Amino acid sequence: MFWEMLKGALVRQSRKMFMVAITIALGVSLTTAMLNVMLDVGDKVNRELKAYGANITVIPRAASVLRDVYGIEASSGKTGQYLQEADVGKLKTIFWANNIVAFSPLLETKATVGSDDITVVGTWFNRQLELPTGEVVETGIKELKSWWTVEGNWINDTDIKGAMVGSTLARKLNLHIGDSVEIVLPGGTQGEALTVQGIFNSGGAEDDQIFVTLPFVQQGLNLPGKIGKIEVSAITTPENELARKAAHDPKSLSLKEWETWYCTAYVSSIAYQIEEAVGDSRAKPVRQVAESEGTILQKTQLLMLLITGLSLAGSALGISNLLMANIMERSREFGLLKALGATDRDVLLLTLTEIMTTGLVGGIAGYFLGLGFAQIIGHNVFGTAVAINAMVIPWVIISVILITLVGSLPAMRMLLSLRPAAVLHGR
Amino acid sequence: MIKMTKYSMYTKMIWNALLRRRSRMLIALLAVAIGATVVSGLVTIYYDVPRQMGREFRSYGANLLLTPAGDQQVMAQNLVANATALLPSDKLIGIAPYLYDRIKLNEQPFLVAGTHFQAVKKVSPYWQIRGEWPADQSEDIVIGAEVAERLEIEPGQQVTLAAAGSETEKKVKVAGILRTGGSEENFIFLDLSLLQQMLKKEGVISIAQVSITANEAELNTLTQQIGEQVPGVAPRLVKQVTQSEQTVLGKLQALVYLVTIVVLLLTLICVATTMMAVVTERRKEIGLKKALGAENRSIILEFLGEGLALGALGGLLGTILGFFFAQAVSVNVFGRMISFQPLIALLALVVSIAVTGLACLIPVKIATEVEPAIVLRGE
Repeated sequence: MFWEMLKGALVRQSRKMFMVAITIALGVSLTTAMLNVMLDVGDKVNRELKAYGANITVIPRAASVLRDVYGIEASSGKTGQYLQEADVGKLKTIFWANNIVAFSPLLETKATVGSDDITVVGTWFNRQLELPTGEVVETGIKELKSWWTVEGNWINDTDIKGAMVGSTLARKLNLHIGDSVEIVLPGGTQGEALTVQGIFNSGGAEDDQIFVTLPFVQQGLNLPGKIGKIEVSAITTPENELARKAAHDPKSLSLKEWETWYCTAYVSSIAYQIEEAVGDSRAKPVRQVAESEGTILQKTQLLMLLITGLSLAGSALGISNLLMANIMERSREFGLLKALGATDRDVLLLTLTEIMTTGLVGGIAGYFLGLGFAQIIGHNVFGTAVAINAMVIPWVIISVILITLVGSLPAMRMLLSLRPAAVLHGR
Repeated sequence: MIKMTKYSMYTKMIWNALLRRRSRMLIALLAVAIGATVVSGLVTIYYDVPRQMGREFRSYGANLLLTPAGDQQVMAQNLVANATALLPSDKLIGIAPYLYDRIKLNEQPFLVAGTHFQAVKKVSPYWQIRGEWPADQSEDIVIGAEVAERLEIEPGQQVTLAAAGSETEKKVKVAGILRTGGSEENFIFLDLSLLQQMLKKEGVISIAQVSITANEAELNTLTQQIGEQVPGVAPRLVKQVTQSEQTVLGKLQALVYLVTIVVLLLTLICVATTMMAVVTERRKEIGLKKALGAENRSIILEFLGEGLALGALGGLLGTILGFFFAQAVSVNVFGRMISFQPLIALLALVVSIAVTGLACLIPVKIATEVEPAIVLRGE
């Protein structure tokens, strides 16, 4: 009997129930979309902030003072003043390897072109690197320096006779794409003719430099397998008190603090782990990038949280409102049921089951609709899919049940105090 | 006279409908108010986010450099003052002048930079100082972490400074040790006028770092203006900072924009369904009115009037609530107040009136097309 009545109500009221279901579906889709976007926005914005460049530089331990302060070039072949190119892949073996999005080794040297002294930098442009784990990653300065505007082409790592020239230098030396430039490396007398494949504008000091393949510089300086420094771009957690304390001196932490610090993606702990992995190295976090990323990330997340809160509250109130309107509208029907001998419990059970069934259908439809909305937002804004977070599902279920229940509460109270005679009489 | 009574009857009917059916109307009003809150709140945030976020992005440091034109190594300080006069003062975060040279610290040569510490705090908020910032007008200095490590200097220690080629020595206190992860760690920083005095380079600086909230296009116009109007100064954009800011800020704004659109659409549909439910319930009333001889037009007009009144009231309520919401967001996220935007308030009001009116019309239209007898018989 109960199920027949339920079926009857649902079918008879199909249009109204459809409306309730649609509203619940819309509310749920909003909840799903906003929660998914909110949970993923940190990661997405963090990747965008990578445009600010490397946030960690890795330099040889011994050279860190000598070269930076006095500008002394170490004599070739001396160990300790260079890093090993073979060690670069080790970056991807640290605890936070997945957070390292791009890195590139650099070997810098003074050289002469004609009568001008210039800086030549050997590096990886876009290299497929096979890791000890067998994984293959693609990295290099093309990824690392995403803000460069390049006229012509990026050079290929195998093209040892190719060069990319900074825009300021190109203007000074009157170089154009396709031109040949003769570079004399220190110690060499014979110039090497390279073809200018691209001219880049970085807006920084690099505009006065020439970028070439790493083997070219290594061979020219007779430093096979050696590199000067590694620039690393990593996704990091915003800095806090613990991170600052650790950055100053990791040894000052208690064991528990140390564990927390080591297992959090702070820029200082990633730098520390890089030092552990790459022999004889010193990893320095670039404060300018690390600190600013933290602030901007925090603000964005808080902003999204508040917007999500508003839209959730809005959709919750909207749904409960509609439920109330729906139940009030049917007071005559419930009056009749009561007059025919239905107890309060029967009526409540019937309406609640009705609403829950509608809520379930609307909720499921809404969840998938919401996933669609989240993907639309992700693709339009960030150009990548928003990660679907399973954590959202229980939240959505809880909120649907809570909203439908709380939303129908005032209406339930009205149902209980309903006097059949008055209602059937029509007011 | 007849017209007057007709109008007073009309208003009376609307008022009665609103008052008599208090609980239902309260529901409808609440729905409209929620909708309007979301509209006005989100649109205000959307409008305000780039401005507020732009300020946050200034923590990346200078985005405009004023350098000496041509092959000059230094430029006069008053040239910089002329150039900064061209910058809009309400958007300017700070200007830090720098004079670079070499100096001897405890008999060892180092790079030195003279600057105004108060300005540096504003332009480069990412500087991490262990110890303290030097007090204003004091002769205290800040040294880079690499220098400190090499000479094993701790904050508070006394050191001896001497300009190259001059015999005069100066004993000063190291107030703090600087960590940036960049080349600044190899420098010694002291007050600009003090360094100018020591080096006998009064009134000149090497470079000025400017931090200003402006997008790339505005910055390009500014550099052009300065380049033309202040000879001797070559303004340069810090491309990495300006361009990245443009990209990230653009994405953030697009995010808020899309979210706003989605939320708006859904809220408006919610409001519309609630209004429809409230009006559909009154099919019987419509049937009765028709049976009594009311014309379709007058019934539609009556419901429209009700809807508009509801929309206006709910819209007003929601607009005010929405503003407070946006204010709360701004204060919590950015720590700054926002100003009231009359245009957004008007928009929220118009949207809520239009949506309520439209949501009323559809069910009324359906109801009036049905034969009164069928409606009155029920179902």
